[in-house]
Amino acid sequence: MSPLDAPVKRGGAGDGLPVLGAALARLDGVAKLEGSARFALDQPVEGLAHAVLLRATIAAGRVTRIDAAAAEAAPGVLAVLTPDNTAPLAAASSWTGAPPAQPQYRPLDAEIFHHGQQIAAVVAETLEQAQEAARLILVDYEAVPAITGLDDPRAGDGDPIDMLSKSWGDAAAALDKAAVRLTLEYRTPREFNMPIEPHGLIAQWDGEELTLWEPSQWLDGMARTYAEWFGLRFDQVRIVSPYIGGGFGSKALALPHGAVAAMAARQLGRPVKLALTRSQTFTGLGGRPATRQVLEIGATAGGRLLAIRQRGWNETSMNAVSVEPLGSVTGLMYALPNFDSRQNVVPVHTVQPGAKRAPGENPSAFGLESAIDELAHAVGQDPLALRLLNDAEHDHSSGKPWSTRKLREALAAGAVAFGWDRRDPMPRSMRDGHLLIGWGMAAGTYPVRRTAGEALVGILADGSVEVASSTADMGTGAHTILAQTAAEALGLPVERVQVRLGDSRLPRAPVTGGSQMAGLMTGAVHKAALAAREVLIGLALSDPRSPLRGTGANTLRLEGGMLVAPDGTAYDVSAVLKATGRERVEALRDTLAENRLKPEDHYRNFTTVSTMRAPTDGDYSMHSWCAHFVEVAVDEALQTIRLRRVVSAFDSGRLYNPKLAASQWKGGIVMGIGQALLEEGLVDHRHARLMNDNLGDYLLPTNADIPEIEVIDVGEPDPHASALGGKAVGELGIVGVAPAIANALFHATGKRLRSLPLTGQRLAEAG
Amino acid sequence: MSTPRPLTLIVNGEPRALQVEPRTTLLDALRERLDLTGTKKGCDHGQCGACTLHVDGERVLACLTLAQQAEGRRITTIEGLAGPDGTLHAVQKAFLAEDAFQCGYCTPGQIMSAVACIREGHAGSAAEIREFMAGNLCRCGAYPHIVAAVQRAARALEQETLA
Repeated sequence: MSPLDAPVKRGGAGDGLPVLGAALARLDGVAKLEGSARFALDQPVEGLAHAVLLRATIAAGRVTRIDAAAAEAAPGVLAVLTPDNTAPLAAASSWTGAPPAQPQYRPLDAEIFHHGQQIAAVVAETLEQAQEAARLILVDYEAVPAITGLDDPRAGDGDPIDMLSKSWGDAAAALDKAAVRLTLEYRTPREFNMPIEPHGLIAQWDGEELTLWEPSQWLDGMARTYAEWFGLRFDQVRIVSPYIGGGFGSKALALPHGAVAAMAARQLGRPVKLALTRSQTFTGLGGRPATRQVLEIGATAGGRLLAIRQRGWNETSMNAVSVEPLGSVTGLMYALPNFDSRQNVVPVHTVQPGAKRAPGENPSAFGLESAIDELAHAVGQDPLALRLLNDAEHDHSSGKPWSTRKLREALAAGAVAFGWDRRDPMPRSMRDGHLLIGWGMAAGTYPVRRTAGEALVGILADGSVEVASSTADMGTGAHTILAQTAAEALGLPVERVQVRLGDSRLPRAPVTGGSQMAGLMTGAVHKAALAAREVLIGLALSDPRSPLRGTGANTLRLEGGMLVAPDGTAYDVSAVLKATGRERVEALRDTLAENRLKPEDHYRNFTTVSTMRAPTDGDYSMHSWCAHFVEVAVDEALQTIRLRRVVSAFDSGRLYNPKLAASQWKGGIVMGIGQALLEEGLVDHRHARLMNDNLGDYLLPTNADIPEIEVIDVGEPDPHASALGGKAVGELGIVGVAPAIANALFHATGKRLRSLPLTGQRLAEAG
Repeated sequence: MSTPRPLTLIVNGEPRALQVEPRTTLLDALRERLDLTGTKKGCDHGQCGACTLHVDGERVLACLTLAQQAEGRRITTIEGLAGPDGTLHAVQKAFLAEDAFQCGYCTPGQIMSAVACIREGHAGSAAEIREFMAGNLCRCGAYPHIVAAVQRAARALEQETLA
């Protein structure tokens, strides 16, 4: 047997495991490996025109004149869209469903709020012609001084976000009495999602029907925004997003360039393709905003936590409020009797920040889990032992019990696999030749978010099963786990299940974000599959043409593609459907009722996030948990920091496919390594301009930066978290990686870096 | 500069006639003119590796190659990697077995690089593979599985050769 043929399990039936929970290979995998998987910008659409964007070269002020005469006269040019010659669109409500502050929205605006803001678009017959013509446009500006970032004195202290204020006990009094008190400031820079598929779309009008081929983590939410912008009914907008080349939070909302593409297509009466250049993916949308947090920690001499007082700031754009909640995990991880957390957002001249993997939890954990390590050092305790000492038996922020929390198990399993007991606690004590070796660890968490889902399951006369939903598979494995779910519910081999996703004409799905997709969509598919089975059994028992009607049975079982009567009489599903003259039976089901919603909440549930349930909505506080252990090697002469190995243990509840869940965890760890060691948006503070707006200067981790990563599953099914027992997976892995590496760096060198990324330069500057 | 010229590219063994401007890249020619969209555009600046394909058997970045530079040379894209009967290449099989991809967007470039990495004799150790696959960015973070897939494929290809 060739080594290639052994471990590729394409079906769960043969290996003795249930189908759901089996480590199957991706069912959408072969198309991606052959190059036949057509992403949005790969779609063959007849008569395409190509659009490119022109961007502002100032960060604040206004465009006073655009001279597009030369561009309009250039070969192949079909149109130049500018603030002067385009009508405003209607403003859309927010993703929460809040009505817009202004009635109109100008995707091409003369008012400039950030460097790189789109100000014009050129549409031409070919991409090359559009690019060439865009260079011929002359723009005059009236510039005013820009606020460049959190450290700009003009930025001030920002605006308090009351919604993020949390407190219990009396943190001030407890801090005053604490035997040990630390005041620590942590910072994270502007970070960018940078999926390798750039943002872009093809827009096509057919009368008042708008079709968009666009990568989308939330087809229904984006379709609503386009409908509101262009004054259309929701069902007049169709979004097709068959595959998504990575999103990590950045492809959930309709963005300004999408509005321009749709405007151009309507104006020209032709389909228009607009792809952001790589540079434009740094300015056309934002990633994680820069953050700063100050933590005051009070503890007993023995290391028991008494209080935390937190003050946080994140930057936002001048014209929108984006929050990166820095208190997300601060009060959650440990038994904390006194807590006080507040946060401000600080408007600066930048593109509106977005959501990057674990928004909030990620920088929150960087602060807390670094600070816990600092406390451990201050009181002379092992950082793992200090975490166990302060373990929270329940959620102190809500007062509710945990649904499941296998954090102790994760800490224990990770420590054993890593060999933590061989760690010399003294900084600078471990060496490999001339290299300083550091071992560090940190914990992490991500909440269980819940929104109702909807799915259609059909059982077809050829014996196959169809699952359909507008949810998205951006590499999470939705195709595969939803096929596994239907196969399990219907007692059929998974090879018989076809999963159709990524089209807004299919049954509805909420945002594929907040790590909620697997939990909610397996629940919806399971429910629809059981309902389809009931329809099939009802048909087999009651239709006069059914071969099973004569058995007199009250019920039937569905096993291995056969309908089986209690007396053992059995007919193939397809035989029953053919005999009864049916091509298919199907059931469409949603889980609104399970989420305490009514049928009239349907549209709001799928097109806004207003029905997303908090992790503490209900009797329990529900979260996934993890623990990371890392080893770094530091060459002090060269100031190089290399990661040598990672061992992480996870509690994500029940895993629907452990092979794909492991890929998600590792992917989160890899992105966390990039955040810890490499990624930083660098702003030229003279011009408020991002200097490293390309993949040669904004450094993503490469294969050569990533060591061996071992992941361990310590979860168990959580009956409260989701219908089938899973908890959050996708965003969990990144939470806690950066502090684990910062803690290892301190152990290696004795130097504490509190600003990301942890570079050789910062190490040198630390003395 | 902008006058299109006739050009014949030999793509996956077949001659393909097209008209492109001298400034048209091989990547845009394949994607926009020949409807071969398996080769992906990630950065258009040679920084991400998503457009990696083979020209005369060597890995090349299609975004940094003008279509006219490739005239008369053998171009292999991801669509031409599997056997004529559709049998997946050993590297494609190994990527599936090791789950060496998630979103799949960088994957064609990763696979074309991996085939060349093995052929170049740079798949001797995990460290060597990491170094010689470092030009292909994967934002989903499938790197550990990509290394495992290259190792698995290299073993399989070695066995095929021995057999």
